[in-house]
Amino acid sequence: MSYFVQVVVDGLSNGAIYAALALAIVLVFRATGLVNFAQGGMAVAATFVAYALVRAGVPVLAALLAAVVAGFALGALLERGVMRHFERGEPDTAIVATIALLLLLTGGSAFFFGYEPHPFPSLFPNRTFEVLGVFVSLRSVGTIVVLLAVMAGLQLLFRSTKLGLAMRAVADNPESSALSALPVSRLLMVGWGLAAALGAIAGVLVAPQLFISPGMLDFVLVYALAAAILGGLDSPVGAVVAAAFIGVAESLAGAYVDIVGDDLKIAVPFLAVMVILVLRPQGLFGKKTTVRV
Amino acid sequence: MTTRKARPMRITHRSGAVLATASIAVLLVTGCTRGESAGGPGSDGASPGITDDSISIGISSPLSGPTAGPGSCTVAGLAAYIGAKNADGGFEFGDGQTRQVEFTYLDDVYDPARAVSNFRQLTNDGIFAYVGALGTPTNAAVMPIAEEEEVPQVLLTTGARTFSEDADAHPWTTGFLPTYVTEGRSFGELLVDAGQPITVATLAQNDDFGESYLDGFNEAIDGSQVEIVASATYEPTDTTLDSQVTELAASGADVLLSAVSVTPLQVGVLTKAQSLGWLPRVFLPSNTSTPGTILEPGGAAAYPGVYTPSFSKNPNSPAFAEDEDVQAYNAAFEEYGSQIAATYTPHCAWSYAEGAVLEQAFAGMEEPTRDSFMESLRSITDFQAPMLLDGITVDTTSSDESGISTVQLVRYDAATGGYGPVDGY
Amino acid sequence: MATASGTAPATAPATTAPRRRSPLVRLAALLGGLALAVVLVVAPLVSSPFINYQLSSIMVFAVALLGLNVVMGYTGQVSLGQSAFLGLGAYVTAYGVVQGWPLWLSLVLSAALPATVGMLVALAAARLRGLALAMITIALPIVGVPLARRLDEFTGGSQGQVVSFLRAPETTGLANDQWRYYVVTVIAVVVFVLVRNLVRGRVGRSFAVVKENEAVALSMGVSPYRTKVLAFTIASLLGGLAGFMYLAVVQYTSPETLVFATSINLVAAMVIGGSASIVGTVLGALYYVLVPVVAGQVSSSRTALISGAVLLAVLFVLPAGLASLPRRVGGRLRRRTPAAEGAPATPDPDGTAPAVPTPAAASTDRR
Repeated sequence: MSYFVQVVVDGLSNGAIYAALALAIVLVFRATGLVNFAQGGMAVAATFVAYALVRAGVPVLAALLAAVVAGFALGALLERGVMRHFERGEPDTAIVATIALLLLLTGGSAFFFGYEPHPFPSLFPNRTFEVLGVFVSLRSVGTIVVLLAVMAGLQLLFRSTKLGLAMRAVADNPESSALSALPVSRLLMVGWGLAAALGAIAGVLVAPQLFISPGMLDFVLVYALAAAILGGLDSPVGAVVAAAFIGVAESLAGAYVDIVGDDLKIAVPFLAVMVILVLRPQGLFGKKTTVRV
Repeated sequence: MTTRKARPMRITHRSGAVLATASIAVLLVTGCTRGESAGGPGSDGASPGITDDSISIGISSPLSGPTAGPGSCTVAGLAAYIGAKNADGGFEFGDGQTRQVEFTYLDDVYDPARAVSNFRQLTNDGIFAYVGALGTPTNAAVMPIAEEEEVPQVLLTTGARTFSEDADAHPWTTGFLPTYVTEGRSFGELLVDAGQPITVATLAQNDDFGESYLDGFNEAIDGSQVEIVASATYEPTDTTLDSQVTELAASGADVLLSAVSVTPLQVGVLTKAQSLGWLPRVFLPSNTSTPGTILEPGGAAAYPGVYTPSFSKNPNSPAFAEDEDVQAYNAAFEEYGSQIAATYTPHCAWSYAEGAVLEQAFAGMEEPTRDSFMESLRSITDFQAPMLLDGITVDTTSSDESGISTVQLVRYDAATGGYGPVDGY
Repeated sequence: MATASGTAPATAPATTAPRRRSPLVRLAALLGGLALAVVLVVAPLVSSPFINYQLSSIMVFAVALLGLNVVMGYTGQVSLGQSAFLGLGAYVTAYGVVQGWPLWLSLVLSAALPATVGMLVALAAARLRGLALAMITIALPIVGVPLARRLDEFTGGSQGQVVSFLRAPETTGLANDQWRYYVVTVIAVVVFVLVRNLVRGRVGRSFAVVKENEAVALSMGVSPYRTKVLAFTIASLLGGLAGFMYLAVVQYTSPETLVFATSINLVAAMVIGGSASIVGTVLGALYYVLVPVVAGQVSSSRTALISGAVLLAVLFVLPAGLASLPRRVGGRLRRRTPAAEGAPATPDPDGTAPAVPTPAAASTDRR
């Protein structure tokens, strides 16, 4: 029994890593209506700012705050300088523009720090405690707590603040938002900034485990995308639940289903996502949308 | 996706012209026609890529993407050795000439198709030999072409058996690093020598790297009291290995063989196992056992013993600070390698040693031909290359082993922060 | 085409009937085609094996990109799984060669098997839209890579498989690289002609309508579901065929052939070349193959940086892809001399500038 719980706990702590980036994807989608492949690259670039500061002797928490600010600036800058050019055009072109940004950010990070992974200090003490035979690391608990706080904050932002509602309106319908005198371009910029700032938090949270390198989040992005889409793409709660589901399903499949094994366990959550999406195209927590002619 | 304007297909009348122009442009840009290709033998019987005062060699390795760390180091170490030697006057050859080595490196992102493309480009540009490339699938894709075109593809920075186990089948290809089988076997032998029942848990990368490790290990423990009681595999793309370690920890084995080649994952294994209260003796492969990047972050001091096969000196280790090889390496690397690889991995030291082996091969080369080069390269014995541990020598004469075929097991000593000799299990 | 743009939202340019071509243009087209044919035939005879390898690779990825363009460019469905079909096709071919099957059988199966897989996936998933559909296509390479390692009896496992075939017959007097170039070029040319006719015919019109608006398609008696399944099947068929060609050119395949990153790069190359454009597909393949080569020439240690910069620069200058270059240049000239031939009411030749997306579709179709 305690083995089973341990496997679930391991899955959840992996899920927390996916959720961190999935939240940023959801935020940028809600703010701009776009899936951003550069999300991981932006998060890594901001985390490298924290890394450089930590190496220079700045405490981790202060470095995190600086990374959040830097992330916001980076996101806003990229929106203003690059993405704005593509926001009114074909969405495929905009998506490929984010691929280009990913390449640039990865190459840029590597230019300064190389491709080798570097250790990164944790915000939380690297200790584990035992509950009924199950070992839980303080780091995972800390990560999950921060994530839940971020999730709640996002939910609040979009549900109850003027800024959030305006951002949603802009993402849904830029033209009529402009007509209703919303500052569309500033809102898009803020949306990207916030998403990148959130990415910085995600990066600093997971870097102690994954080690910081330019490609740190490349593969996590795939899981995060799966989680964000499974969760319905515009629901922070959905993304977190879906990420947890993916982490746990993978962990359990690897541990208990012999024919799946460690090599194919990744197939289980992805096949599950396929099945769920086929049955429920709007995702677990997404709202059904009607297509207008 | 969003509504797009129905785009009428009206561009076709120009399509032919565009296409033709583009094709011609390609031909012009990439230049070089069949007649003037550098593929054939030179006028005086010399092979391509060698003149009286120069010889050109090339390498393709991952310089971007997830494998770029080791890939860059592989290039940087070789560049450091060659750069320093060139500055020192050049390489002496068996035909009495002294030549400068021209060194070209390309990025293949660990993609076999791109590696083939790079190899073709390098041979097209007239390299004499293809030296030291890192990567199993990339080199495997290049090997048949190198064999067919009789271009030396030598001293490869990989421990895969394919490149070393049958020299007769591929005379133009040689591996350099000890095979992963050799490393795995060395672990097995240590455990068998202990002469007591030992339980082992294995964690292996799900590819040739991991499989070879286990093959060597199994070979050594066959028929002994050493028993594998749990095993797990992982994909290099896995985010963490927590669930694998949990599974293995449940076995409570005495020894963990962790054939993991990805730095963060290996650190994760070390932290996770101790957080579960499982403290086995740990065996790590040579490429993920650097104290500064793996053992210290992973809290390796907690384990009763951490072992690794070693064959090269760690230039960052205080134990070697006074070593002449290491000082020469550090100076050369600072000057010629550091702009290619920002961070140290053992591959830097290994490929630096390859440079020295190359020098040996050149010294024995009596004619400026690839045949003569291969002959010389395949007859090096008992060569103590710089940066290799004392007692580890290069022997290229065996037809079923790589250039380095022995390893020394060493044991982590947390007090000094480095590795020391092993005195039994 | 008339139906397609006729019912499309009002923002669509109203070029319905094909414009009449002047004799001069026809002549130019003829000459261009002829020049192209000559170049395609003569190029390998005078080029080094390296250039022939690049030219052959361009053919390989042109076919893979053509498949992607059918499903993404023409039908408007995001696919992030094209590399899986490329890999599957290569594996099927490798297996056939190793088993000693006749080559035509390997060729047929390398297209048929991926097409079947693609169709089955599409049958399950084609009711989805936008990103949900994209997600399902992502799963293909993600699951495919470990699966290829697992099935090592068929695939050679992580070591991959060196497969030596398609050697030049003695009678031709050609070198292997030249012979392989001709083989893949013939396949590519045939495929391009067939697909070009397909997208210009009835099927192509149904693709366009589905891309435009699925509800409208339904009202016109075009089943979006069946159309999407068809587009996916064609895309995976072409992906598999490209896999055959890949093996013919590279002579090696391994799980690295189908990694997700390749799919992403293919999407980028398709958009860079030109969405829903045959010429664009070829230009995309040129981009896909040549930019890494050029980047390596500039600086081997900075290839990611260079590729990203080039990609972004092209997108900035030509958001509709490289294929829009002549139209863009032509459009500039025409704007300057409005009396020139073909000038009246040519609506925005580069096809991007005003681009007011219909808001309803913009907000719903993406999810």
